[in-house]
Amino acid sequence: MSKRLANTRIIAFSLAFILFITLVIALTMPAMADEKTTLSIEANTTVSADGRSASAEDVPFAINDFVRFNTGTAKAYEGIDYGYRFPMLDANSFAVVVTADSAVIYVPATVAESSWFRPAQQSEKGFTGEDDLTPLISMLAALDSAVSSGGTELSASQRQFILTTTTEYQFKGSLIDFGVEVEPEHYYVTIKPVEGTAGSRITEQAESASQTESASQQESGAQPAIDVQFVLSGHMLAASEVTVVPAVSGFASLQEFLHGIDYRPFWVSLRTSAVAMIFVFILGLLAAHLSLKINSRLKGVLDSFFTIPMVLPPTVCGFLLLVMFGNSTAVGRWLIDHGISLVFSWPAAVLAAIVVSFPLMYRTARGAFEALDPALLDAARTLGWKESRIFTRLMLPLAWPSIAAGTVLAFARAMGEFGATLFVAGNYAGVTQTMPIAIYFQWMGGHSDVATFWVFVVILISFIVILFINWYASHTQRFRQGGADLADDSFQLSADEGISALATVGGAGKPKGAKVKADKRR
Amino acid sequence: MSKRKLALLLGLGFSVLALSLALFGCGGQQTASDKGSTTPATTEPKAEQVTLQVFAANSLEKALPEVQKLYTAENENVTFSDTQFKASGDLVEQLGAGASADLLITASKGSMDTAAKDASIDEATRMDMFANDLVVVRAKGSDVVFGSLEDVTSSSITKIAIGDAATVPAGQYANQSLNSLGLYSSDTGKEGEYADAIKDKIVLADKVGTAANYVATGDCQIGFVYTSDLYRYQGIETVYTVPSDAHKTIVYPAAVVKGSTKVDVAKDFLEFCRTNADAQQIWSQYGFEVL
Repeated sequence: MSKRLANTRIIAFSLAFILFITLVIALTMPAMADEKTTLSIEANTTVSADGRSASAEDVPFAINDFVRFNTGTAKAYEGIDYGYRFPMLDANSFAVVVTADSAVIYVPATVAESSWFRPAQQSEKGFTGEDDLTPLISMLAALDSAVSSGGTELSASQRQFILTTTTEYQFKGSLIDFGVEVEPEHYYVTIKPVEGTAGSRITEQAESASQTESASQQESGAQPAIDVQFVLSGHMLAASEVTVVPAVSGFASLQEFLHGIDYRPFWVSLRTSAVAMIFVFILGLLAAHLSLKINSRLKGVLDSFFTIPMVLPPTVCGFLLLVMFGNSTAVGRWLIDHGISLVFSWPAAVLAAIVVSFPLMYRTARGAFEALDPALLDAARTLGWKESRIFTRLMLPLAWPSIAAGTVLAFARAMGEFGATLFVAGNYAGVTQTMPIAIYFQWMGGHSDVATFWVFVVILISFIVILFINWYASHTQRFRQGGADLADDSFQLSADEGISALATVGGAGKPKGAKVKADKRR
Repeated sequence: MSKRKLALLLGLGFSVLALSLALFGCGGQQTASDKGSTTPATTEPKAEQVTLQVFAANSLEKALPEVQKLYTAENENVTFSDTQFKASGDLVEQLGAGASADLLITASKGSMDTAAKDASIDEATRMDMFANDLVVVRAKGSDVVFGSLEDVTSSSITKIAIGDAATVPAGQYANQSLNSLGLYSSDTGKEGEYADAIKDKIVLADKVGTAANYVATGDCQIGFVYTSDLYRYQGIETVYTVPSDAHKTIVYPAAVVKGSTKVDVAKDFLEFCRTNADAQQIWSQYGFEVL
């Protein structure tokens, strides 16, 4: 009765724990999602979730395919120097050249002649407002603030806005050329000093240029008189032609987030740990068995050797593995020459997992074997059992609860392996990027939301593992108590129970053994 | 009783085996189907499937994958395995330790020189790809004031994120500019000491992205990063642009890795990065100036 109560309590506690974790995640998650999607919306301007399009209420036009070009290039194309150039989307796109105190807005003729865009008549003068330019600038500013990502924003300072519909615009000693087809079907805004002649050969330019190395690398040829901070480009269309999909929020954004996650780290972790566990299970049991059989002095050394990966920092294991299998040492090169090239590959991740999780398996298995009643094993020997049979039919089944717990622990350790894996296997998405490595690199890469997701997954898995061990331990305990009348609750098996176990194992073994014998006779 | 335990043991053993087999199987199938999807029914049936492994400076983490996608769209037989974006020094070290790659792009001439000295790269293929600028950033919306480089000594700034100069070129550039003020002891930006005035403020980061992240999370008030880092991290903003004469010119050299079996494709990809107009749009958006 009290057992059942205890069980109910365990379940209640675990449910509470999961609930707590979920709450913590749920509370942190939307905050992160918001940070990404919140856009500054000005004057009833709507900006799409991807920051590519914008529209405004009661304004007959909208913007689509918006991009912000933060740098240009001074590279000549096929020998022709174009000055400093920024890309434009295409021949029909608008472009905004932004300098510290002004912004030159170029609107292509197709837009200027349209029925839905009516810029002010005083196009060459400073902008005064009260026409279609106001909503255009508002849209541009909203879009720019959505994609500027910490760079100088269009709305950051007072700027003079200038509208031009001609492709050439002279401005403060510089000639700005819009829609220059540098390569077939690729258009640029080019900026060069007024003195420069278009299409001059770069060799001539190089002669006239007498600048420091750094300056000439920044701007091959003469330096433009204006300092362009960035260029905006995009398409202006009639409002009816553009659909602006605003950013989603709440549950939908969570759904979108979960949909966008790369789940490969989970599978890599699972695959790596599962394969490592096959090796660890076999090697751990054999090592435990071996260490029982040899004499005491050697045993101590061997035991230390088997256990040391547990106490060493994983980076030390990783370092040693890298030295052993890497290209930088004679041993590693010899191995590589003989076809064993492990480093920075998936087998290396498995190897790292094996090394770090092996001691857990070994220690628990050895402890369980040592706890077995020696009289029991001797009894088996008097019955003429071979050592191998004693191991598989008697020791394993009797020590099974501990071994199972050890396996699960080792599995969890392999799942959590970070240091050694990163060292020898690196961080290759879908190959060696396990969950712990994904957490670290996602956070470093600025994706703390994804990192949080993986943290949640790892906590959940670890929790399930511990829950399973506890459940399994209590299960076998109860089973044992029901079978034999034990005075104490210790793991030590009583001789009575052991012998009864021996009897059953022997009994179960008999028919099979008899059959083998029969086969042999034939 | 023991029969049950034995059964349990066998059951577990088999399930582990089955699970791993299933996973292996899955993996195998997945790669097979991946190949299937990328194997094009193109006009050039002779084009061999090539997978390029690129090692690139950490600052290229967002821009380069987009250019790679573009390249794969145009050359369907070429795909990219997970590109490694680490500190340039780490990449050079990793190459020296035997990691295999086809292409190396670092963020400084110095790190590429080291790779050349290690005989990790083919010198003949080396070329300069991009220019970048060094900026001081703060968390978005923070009220930290930083008007000139001397402000690093200001008492209102208690933590400064700088890339670890041993491996991070951005850290070396930052140290060079600090050296111009006498706040760092070595003019190469490497292997020196910070002056006492700022020594306790410096927080070293293992790559430039980490420095940016330290600032974005508010763990450091300011950090030295590239202009291009602004466009790949949310939550930081420029507060000061370090004058370009305060440090060595920031140039990203690239070279084909020695021993690569895909030299022609690797070279072609480099050329694509430098000259393709659509790639140019991506570099422009992320703040890399193509040289």
